[in-house]
Amino acid sequence: MSWRRLRTLVLREIRATLRDPFTASILVAVPLGTLLLFNSILTTEVRHAALGVCDATASPASRRLVAELRAQGTFDPVALRTRTALDEALRRGRVRAAIVIPPDFDRRLAEVGRGGVRPEVQVIYDGGEAVLAANIEGYLNAIVARVGAVLVDAPGGGRRPGIEVTTRVLFNPTLDGQVFMVAGVYGFVFSFLTVLITAVSVVGERLAGTFDQLQVTPATSVEILLGKLLPLGAVFAFDVLLMALVAGFGLGVWPRGSLVFFLGVSSVYVLVSLAIGLVISATSGTASEAVQRSVLFSIPIIQLSGFLFPIRSMPGFLQWIVEAFPATHYIRVSRAIYMRAAGPADLWGDLLFIGVVGVLLFALAVRTLGARA
Amino acid sequence: MRRFVSNLLAVAYKEARVLRHDRAVMSSILVQPIVMLFLFGWAISNTPRNVPWLVLDRSETAVSRRFVGDIQATGYFQPPVRTASYDDGRQRLRRGEALALLVVPERFARDAAQGGARVQLLLDGSDPLTAARVGAAIGRVGSLFATDARAVAVAARGGPIALRQRFRFNPTLHDGTFYLSVLGVILLTNLCLSASSLGLVGERESGTYEQMLALPTTPLEIVLGKLLPHVVVSYGVLILATLLSGFVFGFWPAGNFVTLCVVALPFILASLGIGVFVSAIANTSAQAVFISVFFIMPSFVLSGLMMPYEFMPHPVREIGAVTPTRWFQIASRQIVTRGAGFLDVLGPYLVLWGMFAVTVLAIRWRMKPRLG
Repeated sequence: MSWRRLRTLVLREIRATLRDPFTASILVAVPLGTLLLFNSILTTEVRHAALGVCDATASPASRRLVAELRAQGTFDPVALRTRTALDEALRRGRVRAAIVIPPDFDRRLAEVGRGGVRPEVQVIYDGGEAVLAANIEGYLNAIVARVGAVLVDAPGGGRRPGIEVTTRVLFNPTLDGQVFMVAGVYGFVFSFLTVLITAVSVVGERLAGTFDQLQVTPATSVEILLGKLLPLGAVFAFDVLLMALVAGFGLGVWPRGSLVFFLGVSSVYVLVSLAIGLVISATSGTASEAVQRSVLFSIPIIQLSGFLFPIRSMPGFLQWIVEAFPATHYIRVSRAIYMRAAGPADLWGDLLFIGVVGVLLFALAVRTLGARA
Repeated sequence: MRRFVSNLLAVAYKEARVLRHDRAVMSSILVQPIVMLFLFGWAISNTPRNVPWLVLDRSETAVSRRFVGDIQATGYFQPPVRTASYDDGRQRLRRGEALALLVVPERFARDAAQGGARVQLLLDGSDPLTAARVGAAIGRVGSLFATDARAVAVAARGGPIALRQRFRFNPTLHDGTFYLSVLGVILLTNLCLSASSLGLVGERESGTYEQMLALPTTPLEIVLGKLLPHVVVSYGVLILATLLSGFVFGFWPAGNFVTLCVVALPFILASLGIGVFVSAIANTSAQAVFISVFFIMPSFVLSGLMMPYEFMPHPVREIGAVTPTRWFQIASRQIVTRGAGFLDVLGPYLVLWGMFAVTVLAIRWRMKPRLG
């Protein structure tokens, strides 16, 4: 291993990259594009959801209920005359939920204070949109309970039944999906896109024959690989910084914890994606093969690492398997730093795992590929 | 016209033979459906489960224990962990050891007897989806909790207005249904956009495109001929996805499978067309890969395939409407989960044909027979 030769190779790589405006812009545009794409997709808030209303009473009380549902733009009520029309609207996806107010709503409402049978409102959700239905259910339940309490005098002389739960949300008071997604996008970019970029660019080099040309120079295989990887790693580390700055200045999302600490962890994590990209490139003969392999390899990791879907909700033994993915730990660390202002003391277990696996994988990939090249 | 057809078939035949020998493509066609099937049908779900939570019970009475038991019974939670102090609880929330801390005050039992008891709930908002659902669930338990004998009469029945809820098309609100209904869409988006984007560039790189130009075929015939085998493969994948989710998870389409196939045609063509367009503007395979990433990612993220698109903020929602996946996803969910007929999905169907027309125009504009 000669540092001088390595430096020459690194310089060559940097020049080659900068000369090609397409590659240079891809290296910047892909991470930033992903950040902007993902940051706004997660919402827990229900706004202007189309709600079918089949009101068989049409009394002041039922209109009050519908008006409360419309209030603050939570639901957009759509009047539906019959049950058939309601079924049709649900089936065609025109409404995501529908509420049926029965003809005896008023009569029963008057009697309930005297111990009569309660009025019954029926709600039908479009379960095909499971996530949406669950969100809507929470809102609808709360509104109906509130209106019910107003319409009926609570028994026991105006005392509130039940227990009032005062909820305080820590770390993200508005339950904003943006911070959650921004902190997770790093995991997506550096577990999938950078793997893809590494794999495709190294395969491209092999196909173009420039690797063979370098082989006849005094440079050793390991030096050639490092010459390729160090600039790429530096670019990815730069991408982390760039994403953090764009998220901060553009979207107003800064880590609550230390930015320097976050950048440090991410730079180590980049080694993991370089190593995986290298292994994929070594086992693929063409660019298309490298793409298919990266996709096939990365998609399960992305879906299972907690980026979008909570790990706790997975089947039992799968939860153990996903602990073996570096991506799982990286996303956990990134979210902890971004939202809970966690420091090294809180995260040492995850950090240790990322560090050890990153260095081991990288060394292993360079060694085996160096021998193969 | 006859020459057009025979040229088309000749190119298609050649492409099919090439495809058959492309191990990477063939294995991904076979492996991807299985991986995705288990991922979306079995592994992932949005519903909170096994949520770790802390209880700081300063009341230590039968009422408070009953309240904790009621919350536990919602099924979202692990058994509660007791914490000795407020600070310790907050510390554990910050370390991510628990997602919620329930603080039951000392005078809880007394207040409950008189009406108007309150508890405090601290939630870790760093996972907003889970936090929102867990918070709503605990709030509901609270509002329905019977605190004294008279309130029991009303509260045990669930508040002053009874709410009878029913989830149509997916009675248990199973997340797997949400994803399995678009398994074919996921696979086809992936396959169509990536497969054809590398085809033409690859030919140009290896010089075979120039050879084909020397043949008596027009560029349009070459393009369409190259697409034809992919259309066949796509239908194979669609059938495979439907059969797999049917046999493995017992999830069969509620609607007519033929309708799904009819609607799939313009989607497959439009997606392949976008791939060809990418191929036409890229100079190397690597470029084609990255340009197609720019088409594939929005197709997955903004189309509503993974996350409901209806509450996304405005410009984002409209960007998602430009992807063919948005419309096929809508149609597929309607047919597969809601049992909609062809007339119900006529709108998305026509939009997809419109998109195909636009991509064909774009390709014709870019695909001049150029050399080198």
